[in-house]
Amino acid sequence: MRSGVSIASNWRYFDFWLLGAVILLIIFGVTMIRSAVAGNIELAELDLVQRQLIFALAGLVLMIAVAAIDYRLWASISRPMYVITIFFLAVLYIVGSALYGSARWFDTGVILIQPSEIAKIVLIMVLADFFTRHMEKMGNLTWIGRSFLVTMGITIWILLQPNLSTSIVMLVLWFSMLWVSGLRIRHLLMFILAGIFLPLIAFRFMVDYQQRRVLNFLFPDPNASYGEIYNIQQALIAIGSGGLLGQGYGHGTQVQLRFLKVRWSDFIFSAMAQEFGFVGVVVVLAIIVFVILRCLRAARLASDSFGALLAYGVATMIAFQAVVNIGVNLNLMPATGLTLPFVSYGGSSLLSILIGIGLVQSVILRHRQLEF
Amino acid sequence: MTHGQSTIRNEVQFWRILVFVILLGLVFTLFIVRLFILQVVQTADWTAKAEENSTEEINIPSLRGVIYDRNGAVLAENEATYNVVITAANLPDDDGAIQEIFRQLSHLIGVPVNLNEISVDNPYVPCISEHGIAQIAEYGESSTPYQPVAVKCDVDRRIAMIIQEKSVDWPGVGIEIQALREYPTGSLTANLVGFLGPVPAALEEFYVDQGLVPNRDKVGYAGIEYQYQDVLAGVNGRRLVQTDVAGQELRDVQPPIPPRPGLSMRLTIDSRLQHAAEDILRTELNDWNRYFGDLRYTSGVVVAANPKTGEILAMVSYPSYENNRMAKIIPAYYYNQLINDPSNPLLNHAVGDVLPAGSVFKLTTGVGALNEGVVTPDQIISTPPELEVTERYYVNDPGQARKFVDWNKAGFGHLDFVHGLANSSNVYFYKLGGGYQNEVPNGGLGICRLKTYAAGLGYGEAAGIYLPDEEDGLLPDPTWKRITHSESWSSGDTYIASVGQGYVLATPVQVLYSAMIVANDGKFVQPTLIREVLDSNGDVVPMWRNPEGDLVREPTPGSFQVSPFEPHVKWDLTVDPIIQEFGETTIRGCEPILGQTKTVQPWVFKVIQEGMRLAVTSGTLEKPFQNSPVLAAGKTGTAEYCDKYANALNKCIPGNWPSHAWTVSYAPYDNPEIAVVVYVYNGQEGSSVAGPIVRRVLEAYFELKNIDSGAVQTP
Repeated sequence: MRSGVSIASNWRYFDFWLLGAVILLIIFGVTMIRSAVAGNIELAELDLVQRQLIFALAGLVLMIAVAAIDYRLWASISRPMYVITIFFLAVLYIVGSALYGSARWFDTGVILIQPSEIAKIVLIMVLADFFTRHMEKMGNLTWIGRSFLVTMGITIWILLQPNLSTSIVMLVLWFSMLWVSGLRIRHLLMFILAGIFLPLIAFRFMVDYQQRRVLNFLFPDPNASYGEIYNIQQALIAIGSGGLLGQGYGHGTQVQLRFLKVRWSDFIFSAMAQEFGFVGVVVVLAIIVFVILRCLRAARLASDSFGALLAYGVATMIAFQAVVNIGVNLNLMPATGLTLPFVSYGGSSLLSILIGIGLVQSVILRHRQLEF
Repeated sequence: MTHGQSTIRNEVQFWRILVFVILLGLVFTLFIVRLFILQVVQTADWTAKAEENSTEEINIPSLRGVIYDRNGAVLAENEATYNVVITAANLPDDDGAIQEIFRQLSHLIGVPVNLNEISVDNPYVPCISEHGIAQIAEYGESSTPYQPVAVKCDVDRRIAMIIQEKSVDWPGVGIEIQALREYPTGSLTANLVGFLGPVPAALEEFYVDQGLVPNRDKVGYAGIEYQYQDVLAGVNGRRLVQTDVAGQELRDVQPPIPPRPGLSMRLTIDSRLQHAAEDILRTELNDWNRYFGDLRYTSGVVVAANPKTGEILAMVSYPSYENNRMAKIIPAYYYNQLINDPSNPLLNHAVGDVLPAGSVFKLTTGVGALNEGVVTPDQIISTPPELEVTERYYVNDPGQARKFVDWNKAGFGHLDFVHGLANSSNVYFYKLGGGYQNEVPNGGLGICRLKTYAAGLGYGEAAGIYLPDEEDGLLPDPTWKRITHSESWSSGDTYIASVGQGYVLATPVQVLYSAMIVANDGKFVQPTLIREVLDSNGDVVPMWRNPEGDLVREPTPGSFQVSPFEPHVKWDLTVDPIIQEFGETTIRGCEPILGQTKTVQPWVFKVIQEGMRLAVTSGTLEKPFQNSPVLAAGKTGTAEYCDKYANALNKCIPGNWPSHAWTVSYAPYDNPEIAVVVYVYNGQEGSSVAGPIVRRVLEAYFELKNIDSGAVQTP
């Protein structure tokens, strides 16, 4: 087949720049986790560094494997994957809430798996397939509504866990991919207006405690949540005291004396800022931006819409999580539990994001050759 | 196939990706701006906060100096007390193990494992609040896991030893040694040595500036402890340490400044003489009270000093209080009891009570009259039982006749000076002080000259013995009376002032000073309580007292040496012209002639000494000193008073007021080495109540001297 030949995989096109940038970020992260857990006996016993390294190696192998698989396979099996994912999430919710009150993890006996991380990748595949097949209908509000329902089919279980931050990532993926699939400007404006007014209307129909929760989320009471304020304050102290060149690796007082909380994951950015300073952090930011841009390059060069949407979805996932995490560290956003991609400690999240990179590599390996 | 076509073509519009890129670029630019502000512009502020986070100042208490008597007997020292403490971070991880430790510890020290949750209403106050071991440990864990918190204070040594031995089995449980002030001589020297208390709220800022820690460090509240707080306290040490988030000390940020222990003080007091004097005073008063079957004599003072050196050898103010009861906290009920006691045990009456001096003040009138030539020693003056004088308020006042009676209702007939003094004839001294017709013309000595001589003999101003209660006393003059009483000075006021009554007020030590000056031929040697200031090695620290009254390490202009002790002559009346000359002494006021001062002729003191010796051999002190081996000279006083307590008992009957008993004496009369004053509140008769006490104190002094010199074997 003509098309089959023209977009056959070609390892010449493997994006080594992307791979290099990702490995650099992982090395940065592992180095920083090592510094962050130093002196903390309990964390040192858990050996986060070794675990993260194992996950990174496993993830890179997985990435190569995913890259080797023709990404179009995922389009054909997106429906079964969608159903299986919902099944696992529902089982986790029902069994988990029955046994523990709530659960986010699957204990496989060897490692804990967080299905919501895998669900993000599955959603990207499912939405890429959906939007590819219905791209010309995306000017139609009914089809936009359908795409939303598809998204919610997975997201609802994550929301019920409850895991609000991952749910928001899912909705952002949907909206971002909707945008790139041809959302009309007037619909965009409508969504923006609705985004402002709908919650206000919905708010009126909520019961008392729900209203309070929403208000607490939007306007955290500085007195009520001293802990959160304290953590953010410590993060700002860590960042500010890093200065231009940092206090030096292993010498950040906020990190080493443990004033900075969850410094190996949620606040790893602040830990880097204190030990490596402005220069070091800007380098890390630049590499993250570079990774996102390489994913977008794959989206542009992709030989079909499905590949483009896959790469674009992965770029959105990385960009949004990075922006939210750094925004929280810089106290520009309310605190959430999102980690910094590639850098923060966390096995499931590292694995899923490396699978995402594998998808991008798979797309770029099979991109339309311009020279016939 | 359109459908097929669309799946194999990339139909994603590039401009939509570009919008995404631009949005991303804007956000990351915002991040970099924010980072630049935090890390470059504001970095100094944040760095300061990071340092504040991780550095902690630790104040190391210094050891307070010891107070000794002149022979090295301890009057105030630091005693180690043992507090049982828990360091939450060092407790075992296992809850069961913790409970087992708490249970055993509870059994040992008697503090229940669970009692009274710690709350805002019932806060944890070390050593005072009552909480269970578990509650205190929980409090420690949540507030300061690496700092020990006290579970029980002041356990006995045996329990402390047991807990220390168990420290391996009981991780997290320990003993903290705290220094507590102890006064081995207790109430005997409480009025002199004083006591300690917590840093008062009103002075907290002042003491914190000096490096003290409120609620931990204590400061002097009375006596020497208060007066020489700066000398005794030393300087607390300081460490600046880096701590982690749990408060664990990691390292010193700066070289630690070790605490500087306080200086010790050796007083001039001989605690043996102090003990004897207190015993004599107390038993005499009790004997009289038993005799009367009435609690008539409640308080009194004995002060003994060396007139040649100014050293105070004993200073008893009775009743006293138990300063050891104030060691840990000042108990409210005990303090209130002391405050409400009419005899005011917290006051050092020897320096802090201003009283009518009575006849002991005749020494002053005598010195003045002789030196001014108002009377010659040989002049015979008639001393009828009473004197009727016209009391005038101004020069041409026709006046009113007023009677001035002698204590001896029979009268003395005719007396020369020494017999007038020895018998303490009131009429004799009225005439000297106020003048009488042609016998003592020109209004006698007069109030103005009486005042300048009294000042020369140590009255009217605190001499600088440096105790917190020290008072000035009062020497009245016409101007003072007009200001305070809106009334002119009358000739009658001069008469009664001449015998130490009326407006004249003096402290017991001032009465002693006047006798010391007479005994020392007019030389007033600075009275003092300090013999030496010692450092922690026991070496003498040279110190001087500057004109402001502070102890300093280097001599300054106008200062005199305090440590090691060296007698310092405050003034010599026969050499230093400090007696003021007055112009025409009018009834309106005293008009000093500027620049005209004079000395006292040396023979004057010889005559006074002779009169005081005569009082012991054949005068008012003859009976109390019968058969005494001590060759003393002295003067009695019976000072009428009317204070609020006497008034409340309706004892202030005109012409028959209650009176304080006084006697001041020195010995040996020809080469004095000890002077003693005794004052008994409401003691009625100087010679019968105060006289015997003086005699016994003098005898005790010489007995101790014999023991010290080896002439007498100690029993």
